[in-house]
Amino acid sequence: MKCKVCKAKAVAALPSHNAAFCKEHFNSFFMKQIAQGIKRRNLLERDDKVLVALSGGKDSLGLMYALAELGYNVTGLHIDLGIFESSIKARSVVEDFCKSKGYPLRVVELEKEGVPIPLIKKHIRRPICAICGKFKRHYFNKVAIEEGNTALATGHNLDDEIARLFANTLRWDQGYLSDQGPVLPAENGFAKKVKPLFRVTEYESAIFSFLADIPYHHLPCPYSSGASFTGHKMLWRDMELRSPGTKRAFYKGFLDRGRPAFAALEKEEKDYEINPCTECGYPTSAGVCSICRLKRQMQESMEQEAAKGAE
Amino acid sequence: MVIVKIEPEGQTVEYTKLNTVLQLLNKQGLHHTDALVIRNGELLTQDEQIRQGDEIEIRKVVSVG
Ligand code: SF4
Ligand SMILES: [Zn+2]
Ligand SMILES: [Zn+2]
Repeated sequence: MKCKVCKAKAVAALPSHNAAFCKEHFNSFFMKQIAQGIKRRNLLERDDKVLVALSGGKDSLGLMYALAELGYNVTGLHIDLGIFESSIKARSVVEDFCKSKGYPLRVVELEKEGVPIPLIKKHIRRPICAICGKFKRHYFNKVAIEEGNTALATGHNLDDEIARLFANTLRWDQGYLSDQGPVLPAENGFAKKVKPLFRVTEYESAIFSFLADIPYHHLPCPYSSGASFTGHKMLWRDMELRSPGTKRAFYKGFLDRGRPAFAALEKEEKDYEINPCTECGYPTSAGVCSICRLKRQMQESMEQEAAKGAE
Repeated sequence: MVIVKIEPEGQTVEYTKLNTVLQLLNKQGLHHTDALVIRNGELLTQDEQIRQGDEIEIRKVVSVG
């Protein structure tokens, strides 16, 4: 196979773009996708101070690298979840990567915050991944607010966005359908949230990271299901195979025509107020934020356990 | 003999005869956009020939967790 641009030997073929590229031209294709996506959907301004959520996976590290190459002012944020070997490994990959590239990095340790994920799992009887996600979002927002970042970037790619959009559509979830997308404007004291990889697939992101020598590691979280093509990603994989480009068209159509309709509906109905959490100051519509409530629940459970042990 | 390492599972599979990357992907039930296929640090497109003695890594791209 030959590169569409220079006819040298190709390293990757992209059926949805009807093209194959050599290393150099894949890289320029990818960077152009990111830069154009940022520009067309107004994700970032040149003077934004961007906090990039770094899990240690290929998408987040590749995103950090791409944004830095495009000249944005970026700082990494890693949340050390305290999940045994998998968190130790993820953290060291992130730390080594930022050090080698000279990127500033902030690390929040849930252990130090008194809420490592295994402890939460022990005391809160709810699906751990949902709660883990809540804590990650909470600390991303918190660091962004406290340290004056104007944007929070995550490594969600087109496949992630499609899977989520499809789930929201199956439920006709008006709230989510009114604002899901690559940019969520700053609001109620939160920094704006952006997903600059929204135009590239998981495959394209993996190639980019591989060609940029971004470290590959795989030590899955012991709480993850481990299944590869879960749920809707499997459906979309088959749909894309049959008709390349479907994912991009579906997502673009949603942003251009679906979301505005849902946003108009939602506007008429919204009636709650956001105020600082009375315990931690984090913006919430509930008086005490859900993280402080979870912490309280854990405290109670731990006290009960201690009392039982003393009997 | 062709030795194929499959990530993230970390399995190793051996094939006595393989002609192309496409054939390897088919045997693994994968489409070419499901995985990176790597030989000696280089990415392979699906039309590439596989030779006796090759060591190949298949790196599935779907992220978990
Ligand atoms: S798989 Fe592990 S890291 Fe991922 S959300 Fe669940 S608990 Fe958190
Ligand atoms: Zn080229
Ligand atoms: Zn709070």
